[in-house]
Amino acid sequence: MKFLISLAFKNLTRYRRRTLITAGAIAVGIMMFIMIDSMLRGAEYESVRNLKWYETASARIYNSEYWENRHQMPLDINITDYKEKVQKLEEKGYTAAPRISFSGELILNVIDFGEDGSMPIEVTAIDPQRDFEVFHFKDTLVEGRFLQPGEDGILLGSWFAEDIGAKVGAWVTVVTRGNGGFYQSMDLEIVGILNCPNPNVNRSLLMMPISTASDYLEMEGAATEINIRLADNANVKAETAKIKSITGNNSLSVYSWEDLAFDFLAIAEAKRGGSSMILVLIFIIAAVGISNTMLMAIFERTRELGMMRALGMSDSSIRLTFMFEAMGIGLIGSIMGVTLGICINFYVVNVGFDFGFMLRDIDIGYRIQSVMRGVWNFDTTAIAFLAGIIITTIVALLPTRRALRMDIPSCLRS
Amino acid sequence: MIKIDKVIKNYQNGETEVKALRGVSLEIQKGEFTSIAGPSGSGKTTLLNLIGCIDKLDLGEISIKGEKVSSMNKKEKTSFRRQNLGFIFQTYNLIPVLSAYENVAFVLSLLDVSEKDVHTRTMNVLKEVGLEGMEDRKPAKLSGGQQQRVAIARALVKDPEIVLADEPTANLDSTTGEDILKLMKSMNEKLGTTFIFSTHDPMVMDYAGRIVLLHDGLIKSDKNRR
Repeated sequence: MKFLISLAFKNLTRYRRRTLITAGAIAVGIMMFIMIDSMLRGAEYESVRNLKWYETASARIYNSEYWENRHQMPLDINITDYKEKVQKLEEKGYTAAPRISFSGELILNVIDFGEDGSMPIEVTAIDPQRDFEVFHFKDTLVEGRFLQPGEDGILLGSWFAEDIGAKVGAWVTVVTRGNGGFYQSMDLEIVGILNCPNPNVNRSLLMMPISTASDYLEMEGAATEINIRLADNANVKAETAKIKSITGNNSLSVYSWEDLAFDFLAIAEAKRGGSSMILVLIFIIAAVGISNTMLMAIFERTRELGMMRALGMSDSSIRLTFMFEAMGIGLIGSIMGVTLGICINFYVVNVGFDFGFMLRDIDIGYRIQSVMRGVWNFDTTAIAFLAGIIITTIVALLPTRRALRMDIPSCLRS
Repeated sequence: MIKIDKVIKNYQNGETEVKALRGVSLEIQKGEFTSIAGPSGSGKTTLLNLIGCIDKLDLGEISIKGEKVSSMNKKEKTSFRRQNLGFIFQTYNLIPVLSAYENVAFVLSLLDVSEKDVHTRTMNVLKEVGLEGMEDRKPAKLSGGQQQRVAIARALVKDPEIVLADEPTANLDSTTGEDILKLMKSMNEKLGTTFIFSTHDPMVMDYAGRIVLLHDGLIKSDKNRR
């Protein structure tokens, strides 16, 4: 065995350039694996954070009948006396913020927007004093100011504002149906523009004070939802059960962020599958390269193989020699790949790649506005390292088997 | 020691069937220094390959040391070669990445020999073939004659009873070739090892104690020159 390992190692130095090129192919495969995995995990991690921070909160309470009708955003299926419920939750240590969400029509006037127009919108009415405790809009203001309770003001997402050409100080009219079905129109001044890292929110955000909305829509102390913030390491399932018991009301249901973002989670799962396919392809390409190198190495040494077999070396020992040799190439490639992968990942984690030019207009499912950053993952690095060695060793088997099928006289004649 | 009985071997060369051996019978005794001679295509290498258990015959029987090697399976033949046979090739077939010492010691690594014994036996046999002090040289740093000496050392290091050499001097100039033959002959006399070598060179045949002349797959003459 010692001799076989020593021979395999010495054979690696026989064609140094070829060994390095093949190891380089493996290294590129491993580096790509580490980098892509890091970016995907990073995108998923950041998306989940941006979902919780700007879209779903950690958990949400709805009227039990609301979920089925949520796409219509009905105002009459609501949480009555939300203040009392929020207080109860706060007494138990939860941070909660009520919201009223409704759909309507945004009317743009010729004076502020250059031409008259309208478009369908969804508006979120927030409690300015509580909402920032649950959501993270505080640091996203890029122009103007935040909302004051009771004012006829509105905040817009920066992409949405850009799309309609809105400026702080301009006025818009929101036409909607109030609680009970009556038509209502609200003239609201744009008081601020928010640039939210969640592109879905930034593309469509319209926020107004809950007290103003409540008056206009005659909600009479009701809200359509109560959002709750949980600690990052909280067991969401257990917490939602606790929240449900605190509300003590069968007409209310508690949904975790995973329930609310099931579409994102399904897309993320599908993307993971697709990305795995790409990674498998990368490894197949590297494996073909290794197989080709081993094939060349074996056929160049056919006479040597014939000699070794004639002298009584068993097929299994010969196979083992080539496997050790391939393992050596795999080891060099894996070390190079992991080193390169770690170096590139430093950049990916700390700086990231700016896909803002693409994400501005295309919804790729991830809740990332521009910069895609990676995360460190020891498991991936270890798997990539081992895969580089194992795959290389396995693909060497096929050409070795072919060479061993030749009879000894043919090997010696070659 | 070696009994070859009515051996027939045909092989395909493209679409043509070549009758390499057409019923060869021969007995070789222990310690003989035998040359299988004949022109190209007479069946010398085929016969040597069959004795060396690296090829399969079509008909007939070969026994070595009383064992019917012609009916052994692949594994048994490998084991038999490992234990009993030494090979010397025309093109030396040394492993270029290994030193002279490692090329010789490699054969012992296939057997159950202790590391200490490997060292002693390898150094002794290298000394015997006149390569003392060149143990660490790679084949590329050795002349053709020195490389063939390494190959002879490799064949002899395990003390085989039979050494088979396929045109061992064909790649060497006449002086070096003669040196190699003298070395083989001295080993044959000193160790009592049976040497069987193929050649078509009359100078090489002169060294043989016995010349078996093959022609078109048949023994044309068998002369004992002692």
